[in-house]
Amino acid sequence: MPEALDTLGVGRVLGTDDATPLSFWVALGPDQYLQLDDVVALERLLPDGDTVRIYGLVTEVRARHEGARFDSDVFLIEDGILPAEVSQAAQILATRFEPEVFVPPLPGQPVYKAEGDERDMALYFDGMEKRLPAGLTRDDEPLYANLEFLDGSRGAHVNISGISGVATKTTYATFLLYSLFRSGVLGGEAINTKALIYNVKGEDLLFLDRDNRELEDEDRDRYQRLGLPPGAFDSVDFYASPRRDDPIAAPDVSTRQKGVTSYFWTLSEFCAEGLLPFVFADAEDDRQQYTIIIHNVVAKLRDAAEGLPDGGIAIDGETITDFESLARMIADRLQDDLTSADWAGRAIGQGTVNAFVRRLFGAVPHLKHLIRGNVPNPDRHRIQRQAQVTVVDTHNLNDRAKRFVVGVTLRRAFDEKERAGQQRPLLFVVLDELNKYAPREGSSPIKEILVDMSERGRSLGIILIGAQQTASEVERRIVANSSLRVVGRLDAAEAGRDEYGFLPAVHRQRSTILKPGTMILSQPELPIPLVTQFPFPAWATRASEAAPAKGNDDGDDPFRGLS
Amino acid sequence: MAQRVAIESWDPDYGVPSTEHTEETDVEIDVGVEVPEDRWGPIPARTEQRPEALLFIDGVRRIDANAWLDDGRIPVRQGMFASFAAGAVRVVEQAHVDRVEVRRTLFAPGNPEAFVTRGGTYEPFGVATPGADALSSALQERLGDLEVEVASRVADNADLVVVDGPLYRRAHLPRTIGYVKTHRVQHLKGRPAETIAVLAAGERTPVFRFRTSWTRHAWYLRLPGPKAHAWSGVVRMEATADLALDETLAMANLTAGVLPRYASEPHKDPRAPQNLYPIAGLERELRRRLGDAVYVDRALRAAAG
Ligand SMILES: Nc1ncnc2c1ncn2[C@@H]1O[C@H](COP(=O)(O)OP(=O)(O)OP(=O)(O)O)[C@@H](O)[C@H]1O
Ligand SMILES: [Mg+2]
Repeated sequence: MPEALDTLGVGRVLGTDDATPLSFWVALGPDQYLQLDDVVALERLLPDGDTVRIYGLVTEVRARHEGARFDSDVFLIEDGILPAEVSQAAQILATRFEPEVFVPPLPGQPVYKAEGDERDMALYFDGMEKRLPAGLTRDDEPLYANLEFLDGSRGAHVNISGISGVATKTTYATFLLYSLFRSGVLGGEAINTKALIYNVKGEDLLFLDRDNRELEDEDRDRYQRLGLPPGAFDSVDFYASPRRDDPIAAPDVSTRQKGVTSYFWTLSEFCAEGLLPFVFADAEDDRQQYTIIIHNVVAKLRDAAEGLPDGGIAIDGETITDFESLARMIADRLQDDLTSADWAGRAIGQGTVNAFVRRLFGAVPHLKHLIRGNVPNPDRHRIQRQAQVTVVDTHNLNDRAKRFVVGVTLRRAFDEKERAGQQRPLLFVVLDELNKYAPREGSSPIKEILVDMSERGRSLGIILIGAQQTASEVERRIVANSSLRVVGRLDAAEAGRDEYGFLPAVHRQRSTILKPGTMILSQPELPIPLVTQFPFPAWATRASEAAPAKGNDDGDDPFRGLS
Repeated sequence: MAQRVAIESWDPDYGVPSTEHTEETDVEIDVGVEVPEDRWGPIPARTEQRPEALLFIDGVRRIDANAWLDDGRIPVRQGMFASFAAGAVRVVEQAHVDRVEVRRTLFAPGNPEAFVTRGGTYEPFGVATPGADALSSALQERLGDLEVEVASRVADNADLVVVDGPLYRRAHLPRTIGYVKTHRVQHLKGRPAETIAVLAAGERTPVFRFRTSWTRHAWYLRLPGPKAHAWSGVVRMEATADLALDETLAMANLTAGVLPRYASEPHKDPRAPQNLYPIAGLERELRRRLGDAVYVDRALRAAAG
């Protein structure tokens, strides 16, 4: 039997496996245990009398019979025939050396569970001036991310991967936002900091402003442990696409009656702001000859279209009040010999023009409710980023229309930030299904914006919180520029890919068995990712969870603006 | 002059006589203890018994180095560095190594001094006569003593204590039997010898009295396992002759009811089935406790300078 370990000791560094500065095994004392993700510390005395403190994380725990040689010996041992002892050992991956003398711990040295300040040291929380609550350990100790790697000071952007439904990607992205706004980590800036979230699936994000009345006390406590008040987001505006073929353009949502505004663009904005390229933002538009036509038509529309107060336009004396008519007008100009050279550009073949026209008409049914004229008070339906959080719902749109909406709104946000010329206040953009907008192959106007955002967003103050099921399908630069990388449950084949090189082998393995609400978080300062759990949303994610709204409901009239 | 030590460069096992218990040949046997000779025959197997506490005792030894000792007197003496260990396995539902004692000793004629190495200190043990045989039997004796020491510390509340090897010098321990695996000499003749040959698994012979330089009761038992020849799986048990006959027979029956369960299988132990699992496990643990032979050798040479 091992000698008694000093108080708090859980075991000793063992000498039957190599101990290296980065990885070593600890034999556990009798009646002691360590579990995955426990944080440990030990001290090594150097020959010159200095001590190095070594900190690490438990990444593997094993138990085995000592004294057994054959697999079947276990039966003899259990039957009391063969003597054997059970030995338990934990593998530690070192996180930190203080001071930085990279020596291995020596076999025999006692190992302690790190708690309090020691744990903070081990996980570098002590050096984080602004720490963002990022989740909890299994025993409900808070885990943090360094805000400096999110707010642009030393890095920016979050990328989240994981399989649909169980990886809780969207929920975690929302949780991070909540933590940003409510933990106090942003200080006085929190008030002006904004977020733009796209709701791409279901209506989960349409209740961010409502307390979740089904939140269990246990989860409430977990928010408290994180220093977060359990509750809803303070200030949220909801925008949803309008119902198709609805003259009053009521928002196309089914679970929330009030407080949602429909959004669309007027024909006049469409022409003046040159939004046509976002109609052609699919992979199939990539490498087509008609790109040149798009640019010409954009220029023509900008020049020729005259905006009308109801959002419509007049071109060459002709009034146009809906997108279909606009498309027809463009087609006419392109196909009419008299105007063709002017609108399409010189030396453009008939075939190319026809391809463009086909594609344009293909978009009409999907976009005609999003680009319209003849609306009273069109400004009402412009997506403003007044509230702290702006939710843009696209879940009822087809992919082509989603790309249009995402492309146009991102462009606008990006341009505004660029014009403002100030990094602060920050704008966080939460975008799911990144693979649709910035696929690895090809190029599109949206992908360019996203790559631009990932490269310059840090200095412009636009922070992308992106998510996708598989990072391997997303443009490399976007993933590579993300300082915080998060994975929820991964598919085993996916977990083996290069994109997850930031995960040590054991974490890759674990990623395939993560449960909803458990994520692996990698951040630049920590050599080893943290396995973290986050509490259930404290805001409602469906109507049945929504506590009654507080305060006045004055923004909740879907017919507002139509009078 | 202080004791100077030169380590023999040959492998310590080289030329050392086998120190297995050599069986004495000058024996006197009384086969009529349990039944008269003409009624000898296998005693049927017992149903399996599981005593509450069962102990197995064994010891191992290793000659770490042969050496030449020089303390300025003539002649230079041959000495021997040895490590040996004795221990017990206690079976109470599960089997655990209960107690292990390890000794390192320098055996030499006269009064050798303790020898300190970084692998531990070799305590001196003087032998009366010079020569390798004397050193070797001194080691055997010291190991025997250590086994007795271990056994007497742990044997108190055991229902049966099985000591690996003859009972010699351990006969005074309570509820203890000697367990002899190898049989170089056949002591029984005639009908008793035939009885051994026809024993089935779990069957034992009647008890007989067996006297060499000392007297004990003994019986043979056949363990389960493949029967390659007439003596396959046969072991001899020895119990003190001081017990009353009915107590001796109870012991004999107890061993027949208990030990077959612990017989090893040939794919796991070359000495199967006689090398009982608990003893094999104990032996491995004891050898481990002797320490790494290469390391110990290096430590000795370093200390010898
Ligand atoms: N902290 C949590 N603990 C346990 N379960 C949770 C937690 N947060 C969310 N969930 C559950 O997990 C489900 C899936 O969450 P979420 O929609 O965030 O996943 P997703 O990875 O974004 O999926 P998809 O790829 O389909 O968009 C939710 O319906 C919710 O019930
Ligand atoms: Mg999602």
